[in-house]
Amino acid sequence: MNSKLIPIVVTLIGALCFGGSFFLTNSSSGDLDVEIDKTAFIMPAAHRVYANPDALNGKYYLFKAKITNNSNTTLEDVTVKYRIPDYIDWTELTVSGEMFPGQTLVIPCYPKFKDDITQKTTESIEKAEIEISWDDAEEDDIIEEEFTFKLTNRNEYVYTGVKKEEISTWSDVYDNDALIACFVTPNDPVVKYYTQNLQEKLMKGEAASVSRKPEDGVKFLAGIYEGTRKSHMVYSGTKGIPQSTDDVQSMVQQVRLPREVITGNTGLCIELSCLYASVLSAAGIDPIIYMVPGHAYPGFKMNGQYYAIEATGINGEGLGGIMSAEDAFKKGQKQLEEFIQRSQSGDPRYTLIDIHAVNQQGATAMDLKDNDFMRKKVDDIVASWSGGQTVNQPNNPRKPAINPPNPTIRTSTGLSFAIPNGWQTMMRPVQDMPILTAQVIAPDQMTTVSVFDVPVSNTQQALATINQYFYNYGMEMQYQSNGNGIAGQTYSQNGTFNWVGKTIRTKNGIRFVAVGAPDYLYNQNSGIINQVYNSIR
Amino acid sequence: MKTIATYITVISLVFSLVGHSQQTNQKIEMTIDEIGNAKINISMTMNAAQWQQWNGTYGANPSALKRDMERSMPAFIVDDFKLDKDDMNRSFNLSLNAYGVCKIDKRGRWIMDTDQKDAQLTELTEHKYMLVSSPPEFGGTIQQTYMIEFPKSAHKIKVDKDSFGKSIFEFEMDNPSSSFNLMRWSGLLLIIVGGSWFGKNAIKKV
Repeated sequence: MNSKLIPIVVTLIGALCFGGSFFLTNSSSGDLDVEIDKTAFIMPAAHRVYANPDALNGKYYLFKAKITNNSNTTLEDVTVKYRIPDYIDWTELTVSGEMFPGQTLVIPCYPKFKDDITQKTTESIEKAEIEISWDDAEEDDIIEEEFTFKLTNRNEYVYTGVKKEEISTWSDVYDNDALIACFVTPNDPVVKYYTQNLQEKLMKGEAASVSRKPEDGVKFLAGIYEGTRKSHMVYSGTKGIPQSTDDVQSMVQQVRLPREVITGNTGLCIELSCLYASVLSAAGIDPIIYMVPGHAYPGFKMNGQYYAIEATGINGEGLGGIMSAEDAFKKGQKQLEEFIQRSQSGDPRYTLIDIHAVNQQGATAMDLKDNDFMRKKVDDIVASWSGGQTVNQPNNPRKPAINPPNPTIRTSTGLSFAIPNGWQTMMRPVQDMPILTAQVIAPDQMTTVSVFDVPVSNTQQALATINQYFYNYGMEMQYQSNGNGIAGQTYSQNGTFNWVGKTIRTKNGIRFVAVGAPDYLYNQNSGIINQVYNSIR
Repeated sequence: MKTIATYITVISLVFSLVGHSQQTNQKIEMTIDEIGNAKINISMTMNAAQWQQWNGTYGANPSALKRDMERSMPAFIVDDFKLDKDDMNRSFNLSLNAYGVCKIDKRGRWIMDTDQKDAQLTELTEHKYMLVSSPPEFGGTIQQTYMIEFPKSAHKIKVDKDSFGKSIFEFEMDNPSSSFNLMRWSGLLLIIVGGSWFGKNAIKKV
């Protein structure tokens, strides 16, 4: 009996082991080790930076999960998702087809908050929930983790994300300096409206971004100062920029947005710097913010040279000593001289923020909606520039209307187009470039229509000739023909300018009309660009 | 997931503290294991002025170097830092482990991102690739030579592009723990032994 029973038992055990090996290998019981590296806070002003893995080298994430498969089984379709109740619904971060025993997954999370987060005016503690699951995972196997973080209000700016005990150098103190660009809001409709009024009502026209002449830039800088001085804007002397590496009090600061500085008629040095930078950027000039211990001041960069102004020279009637624009500029330039000497000698406390450069790295301005009340406040400020007289209500830039074509542009032989309201026309704006017949510039000073008349016989030659001229100015144009139209980019030291245009043969050669904007504004302004492009006939 | 470009940033971070007056070479070796992690070795020799500045900032404060590298590599978890300095020859060697450098996509392929468009990759052997890079932000003053070594079990290694046009490595690699299943082979052995035994006894009876 035993001679049969024992082999049968052995065979059965073998069959069980053999069969069981398949079931156990494919078992869903995973032993995952999860470590979460979380951020301590999120600044709503920088919501676009947090959402973009490529922004500032992906440095700003909500959390980073390290998931290690410590079991001896391979898990399939490992899925990681997260949510932030009341802000972001369940969102899948990754699906890994397989996860071998011992393998580690590292998943950074870049949360995409809705644009209305910039309306958040109070800080709160929020919870993030993470769920890790895989194919055939039982309910009990699914891993759930959660942590809390501080969601600041939209005005809060934290100078550094480095823990207090780890701060040792000035680069640690200014660790978040690129994020100050998020408080520079040239596309804010209220700032645009203010800029437009400055250009029109106070400066009676300016063309610094087109002429690229430093003296025009300085005039514009002085114009902004005059605007703040004439509206009796005051400097509020609350503590601002950190003064030393252990200056913990100043590491977190409430920064009023440029629109709030304009309408509130008061600002700190960093707030005034953001206001200047916003207006300069809205006018097409490269803004710079200079950071020094305990202070910040604005300026701009043009043709490789730097300029500065002491924006806080407005002081205030209570403080006395209100500087003239000339004195404020002189003081700014003197400070800049010291800045350059200090930074060249390697003093790390002297740093500058090139706003457009960090914009290109993904630190872009927050999204702000139009506000009629603030526009009315701007109207009051504009009235104060003209001695209290009510100024005419300018055209509403939100709804640009198409004007009848300007007869100086429309010709019977060449292409013409309809110029929107408020756009400025400049005939033969560059003397050294006779083929540039005219330029029409939008109130934002960025969106531009250029009209070229090139005495050649075909489009290719015309574009090649234009490119030749561009080379002399350190620019280069690349383009593709697209049926009737041409689309292209012009590269220069100021960045990339995207455009679309059309050509036609005229009696004197080829007329080329192109409309475009810098790449970072092109999508935003695509409505008006397409409107102008479609009107080219 | 950023890999090589991230290292460029990190190495640039290391280098950002030294002068840019003359071209400097850096060698970065990445050895990838069978579960997608990498052992990284960075070595560099500097001139006297560069060495003095680097030594004052990072050489004398390796914890700052570790912290800055960790913060500059958001797509990875890095640990096991070892910094060996050779003051006599003004050079250093930094080694570290990086987890999750390669991942398996939804279709089961191993992927390693370079995060570079049209990366200049040279195949040295079946499992070894070289990438030479000169980050433009330093005006071409740093030449970085990357040696990327895949595990022997990796096969069908090819360079492709992702949906953003960036160069990626794609390869296949078997589960390192699937080569031997003790339970399965034991079971098979017991079936054979038990069956043979039963058969032998049955024949004897006949």
